[in-house]
Amino acid sequence: MYIKILIYYIFGYVNIVVEGFFIERFINMCISKRIFFWNTDRSKSTIFSANIGVGNYKEVVKIAKKCQCKIKINKKHGLPFLLNRYRKRKIFAITLVIIAMGIMAISNFIWNIEITGIDETKQKEILEFIQTEGINIGKYKNNIDLQNLINKIRIARDDVAWIGMEIKGTNLIVQVVEADEKPEIIDENEYCNIIASKDGIITKIEAQNGTPVVSEGDTVKKGDVLVQGWLEGQYTENRYVHAEGNVTAKVWYSDKEKVYYTQNYENQTGNKEKKYSININNFKINFFKTLSNFENYDTIRTIKKLKLTSNFYLPIEIIVNENFEKKYDQITYDKNEAKEIGIKDLKNKLEQQIENSENISNIYINTDETDEYIEVEVIYEVLESIGTKEKIEY
Amino acid sequence: MIKPRKGKVKNRISKVLAVPEEVSLGVPKLTILKFEEVLIENYKGILEYQDFFIRIQTYIGIININGFKLSLEEMTVDDVIVKGKIESIDFESIVENEEG
Repeated sequence: MYIKILIYYIFGYVNIVVEGFFIERFINMCISKRIFFWNTDRSKSTIFSANIGVGNYKEVVKIAKKCQCKIKINKKHGLPFLLNRYRKRKIFAITLVIIAMGIMAISNFIWNIEITGIDETKQKEILEFIQTEGINIGKYKNNIDLQNLINKIRIARDDVAWIGMEIKGTNLIVQVVEADEKPEIIDENEYCNIIASKDGIITKIEAQNGTPVVSEGDTVKKGDVLVQGWLEGQYTENRYVHAEGNVTAKVWYSDKEKVYYTQNYENQTGNKEKKYSININNFKINFFKTLSNFENYDTIRTIKKLKLTSNFYLPIEIIVNENFEKKYDQITYDKNEAKEIGIKDLKNKLEQQIENSENISNIYINTDETDEYIEVEVIYEVLESIGTKEKIEY
Repeated sequence: MIKPRKGKVKNRISKVLAVPEEVSLGVPKLTILKFEEVLIENYKGILEYQDFFIRIQTYIGIININGFKLSLEEMTVDDVIVKGKIESIDFESIVENEEG
């Protein structure tokens, strides 16, 4: 029913008013000629109104004449009449067509490259790689050979385990799965030395296989051989083996920091101003004076890409610069406070480097005072296993 | 209006074959939805159409529908829907009940 009416809407329909004494006859004749009408209304005994399709109107007029009824068009509905009404607005129609064509043309290009799955520095690297391969913002979408590009990236980069590319709308989505860096595993059958991975003083050395070269209390540097991968026999010649053993050493982690007694601090005053500009494919339009009203300020820049639908990006960016006013305050510390601050900072820094905080055996703190600042040095003494295997090269 | 003899034969055949009567004999079938909509299948013509009163001719008699704001909708050659506030429906049969 509704679909029928919709079709009549597309081809146009008219609301007719029939006036006469033989309305029933008129209706019966219409039905026998298979004329469809709807929205019938019979408010008065001699007046009948209904909607009929435009194509049936001529027939209806004939029938009405036969029934000695007057017929009149009350209102015209439907697309043909609607279009007829706007017939004289040529420019409007032309612009509509131009806009539709423009959107279709724009949708053939890539306007956004989105990389997910890895951190920002690597995102930039991959983006640069993609750009050197010729896929840039504004590239015609149909000429892109994604499979080829994926293969190239996978060959060029070891840290990518899997990469997937997809063009959705005007959006190129690159999904990357990062590969874990594998430590070099030396096969059991191959010969190797154990070398030091860090500077330190040996506290314990256990060689299960191979000849230990250093003893307890020795100072070693990074790269020194600790256990050599060969055995000296009494009656045989030197025999190469796969060295194995545990080497523990005291390792020091240290850092220095100068803490000044008077320091400048930035404080935001809470005043801010927003400045907008539009970037159309590297052509920038500012809506403001570039100079800020504030003397000292931080700027936070947010870039929004315009999009029609979730995947249909347009080559237009809106840039919002938010300036936050700030002022400088001076804070003075006495010696103890400055020292505490320095120690706290350094401890935080160093504890990130140490893998296992349970192995810390000692913490040394040195300070050096001057008139302007206090220099703090924190040294962590950690017991760590420092042996790593290295293949013997002949 | 149905010729008795032919009707009888047709009637028997349709009973044997279990064909619905409204298909084989062309008798009207009324479907009433709520008190606001009547679907009448196998009608012949509209005798009278008023806001409050509709008379519909069928092969075995006349159907009278009383109510308010009645309107005819979805008219085809075979069926018609009457919409509006229906108060009563009554029939004027022109075929005598033969077997009872």
